[in-house]
Amino acid sequence: MSEGVGVDLQDVWIKFGEFVAVRQANVNIKGGEFFSFLGPSGCGKTTILRAVSGFLEPSDGKILIGGNDMAGFGPNERPTALIFQNLALFPLMKVWENIAFSLEVKGASASERRKRADELLDMIALTGQGDKLPSELSGGQRQRVAIARALCAEPDVLLLDEPLSALDLKLRQHMRTELREIQKRVGITFIYITHDQGEALTMSDSVAVMKAGIIDQIADGKSIYDDPATAFVASFVGENNVFRGTVKKVTKDMAVISTNRTGDLRARIPASAQTKLSLGDQAMLFIRPEALDVTESKNKSDTRIKAKVHHSEFEGQGYNVFLEGSEGKEIKMSLTNRGETRMYDSGMELTLHYDANQAVALPAGELASE
Amino acid sequence: MKTDSLLIRIGLAFYLLLFFTYLLGPLVLMSITAFNSPSFPQATPWEVLTFEWFRVLYNDARIINGIKNSFIVGFFTVILSVIMGLAGALMLTQIWPKMRATFYTIIIAPILIPGVVLGISTLVFWDRINVMLGLSNDSFLHNGILLTVLGQSTFIASYCMLVFVARLQRYDTGLTEAALDLGATHTQAFRKIQLPFLAPAIGSAAVLAFLASFENYNTTTFTFGKYPTLTIELAQKVRYGINPSISSLAFIIVVLTVFFALAHEVRNRRAQLAIANGAPVGAVSAGFKLPKVFAGNPAAIILALFVTVSISLIAFAQFYDPEPAKAVLLKKKRAEQQKRIDALQKRLKEKRLQKIFKGPDIFGDGSSKVPQPPSKTPFGNVFDPGNLNKVAPGKEKPAAKPASPFGNVFDPGNLNKVAPEEKGKTTKP
Amino acid sequence: MGNGLLKDFFKRNGTVMGWFLIIAVTFWVVVLIILPQISMFDFSFRNHLPPPEMGGPKDVYTLKNYKYLIFGAEGNPDAYNKTDLAVFGKTLLAAAFVTILDLVLCYPIAYYLGQSRGGGLTRVLVLFLIIPYWINEILRAFAFRIIFGDSGVINEMMMFLGLIDSPIDFIRENVALYAGLGYAYILLMIFPMYNVIESLDRNQIEAARDMGASWVKIHRRIVIPYAKPGISSGCTMVFMLSAGALAAPQILGGPSSLWFTQIIYQWFNQGGNWPQGSAFAAVLLATCIFIVLAVMRIFKVNMGDIGK
Repeated sequence: MSEGVGVDLQDVWIKFGEFVAVRQANVNIKGGEFFSFLGPSGCGKTTILRAVSGFLEPSDGKILIGGNDMAGFGPNERPTALIFQNLALFPLMKVWENIAFSLEVKGASASERRKRADELLDMIALTGQGDKLPSELSGGQRQRVAIARALCAEPDVLLLDEPLSALDLKLRQHMRTELREIQKRVGITFIYITHDQGEALTMSDSVAVMKAGIIDQIADGKSIYDDPATAFVASFVGENNVFRGTVKKVTKDMAVISTNRTGDLRARIPASAQTKLSLGDQAMLFIRPEALDVTESKNKSDTRIKAKVHHSEFEGQGYNVFLEGSEGKEIKMSLTNRGETRMYDSGMELTLHYDANQAVALPAGELASE
Repeated sequence: MKTDSLLIRIGLAFYLLLFFTYLLGPLVLMSITAFNSPSFPQATPWEVLTFEWFRVLYNDARIINGIKNSFIVGFFTVILSVIMGLAGALMLTQIWPKMRATFYTIIIAPILIPGVVLGISTLVFWDRINVMLGLSNDSFLHNGILLTVLGQSTFIASYCMLVFVARLQRYDTGLTEAALDLGATHTQAFRKIQLPFLAPAIGSAAVLAFLASFENYNTTTFTFGKYPTLTIELAQKVRYGINPSISSLAFIIVVLTVFFALAHEVRNRRAQLAIANGAPVGAVSAGFKLPKVFAGNPAAIILALFVTVSISLIAFAQFYDPEPAKAVLLKKKRAEQQKRIDALQKRLKEKRLQKIFKGPDIFGDGSSKVPQPPSKTPFGNVFDPGNLNKVAPGKEKPAAKPASPFGNVFDPGNLNKVAPEEKGKTTKP
Repeated sequence: MGNGLLKDFFKRNGTVMGWFLIIAVTFWVVVLIILPQISMFDFSFRNHLPPPEMGGPKDVYTLKNYKYLIFGAEGNPDAYNKTDLAVFGKTLLAAAFVTILDLVLCYPIAYYLGQSRGGGLTRVLVLFLIIPYWINEILRAFAFRIIFGDSGVINEMMMFLGLIDSPIDFIRENVALYAGLGYAYILLMIFPMYNVIESLDRNQIEAARDMGASWVKIHRRIVIPYAKPGISSGCTMVFMLSAGALAAPQILGGPSSLWFTQIIYQWFNQGGNWPQGSAFAAVLLATCIFIVLAVMRIFKVNMGDIGK
């Protein structure tokens, strides 16, 4: 299990009657990688997972696991194991029987199965709990049993369908670390499905962001956050202030957008969107709340925004200041708490400033609705 | 407002009482007639407590044979119906939506099709097949058991299907997928995951199927051929002459039904209490002390009472002898009978003197409900059960009884009363 | 397309399970349900022939079996087959009567059980409801014969109380038959209604009461509309079973009144004229299907509601 087995999706289309669930997906997942599909519910990410695990066949295109075309192979013939959203532990079987089910169907003896189950129980820190029923375990324990059951099948690729969504916040954060550790330890490829960007960004080597059946961007977490490829990615991953307008000036990696309400603003064009903007195009400019700051200078510039404080919230590690720009444009600014008292009262007139490198200009597109 | 709701409550209580009297009264009365000595089943007037009808039942070869056939038919019907019902329910969960309504209509239809139609169509269809294959009239396709099983399964499978559909609605198909994903074949996934989940439903479907098969008449009456089931035998008996041995059979069935219903209820209730206490069933039942079994479990109390009464009844039957009481009653009856006959004869004589043709009319009416052919002679009616407090349904019996100075010694019903131990066997269901 | 669906089916179920499902379902649907009905229907259009002549020149399709039901045997002085048609009509009417009787009888109980909070008493009452249902149909009819006989409990009691002088012939008057049929199908009426009413939110009733609605109004406007699927399901089942009953009319029916099923029975078991009996059975089946469909149309109920 040193190298790991890669998964390739080549021009995969999945249709249900007229409805296109996945549109021409091309993904290259390297062996041993922790790969996430991130997107709002209904974007087709679970469909991709079911196609990889063999529960449905793509309408068009190929799925390769370890370089082998998987067409015609059923879920029980593929080197994958799936962890279901609701875990799907067998309620009538004991924990150890659940874990060793994959051995049972291969006809392994009871003692052999028990031995392997106990090893895995040790690994997930549930030693001695094998004779309980799944219903007698806590949520986190069940979660780990599901993982152990999948690992017992010794898959080349482990597929996880939002497995943490049923857990509470604390446990979820704990399980993120644990999952990542397990993945490093067993060294196999993990494909993870989630709508929670925090999960995707913290755990993954690579993230694919999906919208309505289309993969918008595949990159590592930092690139997704800093260099979004589309307006959708920019608005879905993390928070962003969005300014709509038309392109007024454009160079290779910089653009000035003439926004509808806030005047001209300058921003960087991320590498993936270069050559996609030209003069007069509809464009969107994104500035993250933490990229904004207050400046004393009243001079006009294409990286400054005048706004009035609506209200502000203190959040411990920082402040959120909600402002109203010209014509009622809503703007959010996040400031780090460095000990000084910089609360802003409602009605104060401020000039905001940002570094043009930290703002991005992208072709206009659909935004995430959340 | 307050008197209003009180009135409603009283009305409701009264209605409930009336309703459940209608529901259970007939069964209770029928059970009582099993212990009354007159050979026409009647609860009133009460004569002498007797257990002889259970013996008569035990010695009725046709009934015993009917029970045997019923069990054979029931066994195969259960297997066939459960399999088909299960397949139908599974098919229903995955048939494409456009077809689902049609498919459901087809497999639910046998419940709504009259039983006689099912029986006839089964009979006609397999007869045609038989003719087509050029088989003789006693080929296996004319076998009553086979036809009855096929005819009954047609609609009993629908009942089973309903049971499975209800259970399958709570099944998470993810479990089957998980099993497949872990390398199980489809058959393994079904056998190891879905089938255990369906096990309780298979149990209830099997019980339901057996009971439905056991009591079926409408379909079976066309298909049974040379293998009459218990229900068919009963129908023949009830239509052509009744005696309380049928009541005693009914009593046994009632007792068994009540027993199993109560036992089932007690188990359910216990499982419920266990869930309410948040512990697995096994743990709770093991920890129960005797009185606690009854806590919050009225069915358990009734069950305990019920078993006690049944056991004491059986014990009582071991050494109870109705003969002395019977003899006393018989004497009394005979005197009464004689008196009546005298009175009748007297009246007849008077009438005959008055107008000779009016005579038979007095007795001609209202005496033919019991399946004996109505007699035209005035004397025939004297012995008709309708007129004489139902001493016996047959004509020979009442005549033989008073004629013999030895009372009941030669009564066929008494010949069987050999030893008390053997009697215990019949009364113990 | 169909090929793809079949492939999909086998992919989902595997070969062994797939074939098991297909064979079991096909056997049930085609061999047990559809073909026998078709064959009965086919048979009803044939002449009554001795076995050797079957398939011979005389074995041709004819309408005479249906003609017989409507016009009677040839040489019938009446324009129509009065006897059989009257029995047919009477059977349907009586079945409707039994259905209404059961509905009126069971609605209060279903409502009471459905709305009471499932305590110990309710459970025992439900148990009591089920017990009579598992007693053999014949024995239930037998019990009613005992009760309603000349020297049955009811006659004895009324004579004792001096209400009547001589026993009333309940059997001839069909009282025993109606009581027995109604009794037999109580459960089938109560349970569909009970299941629906149980799911009715108690608050709806409380709210209506709060707004001053009378009990009659609450039932007319809230409970009955809500329970409609249960009511029509129960009525359909009771009607079908009553119209198709055979044992109860045989045992409890008066000497002068016949049930339509009894005529069918006679054609088969005494007359030995199977095509004639098949025709009568086909008419019964068609009428029942028609009535069920009509009821479903009128009350806007789906097939899926039946059998719940």
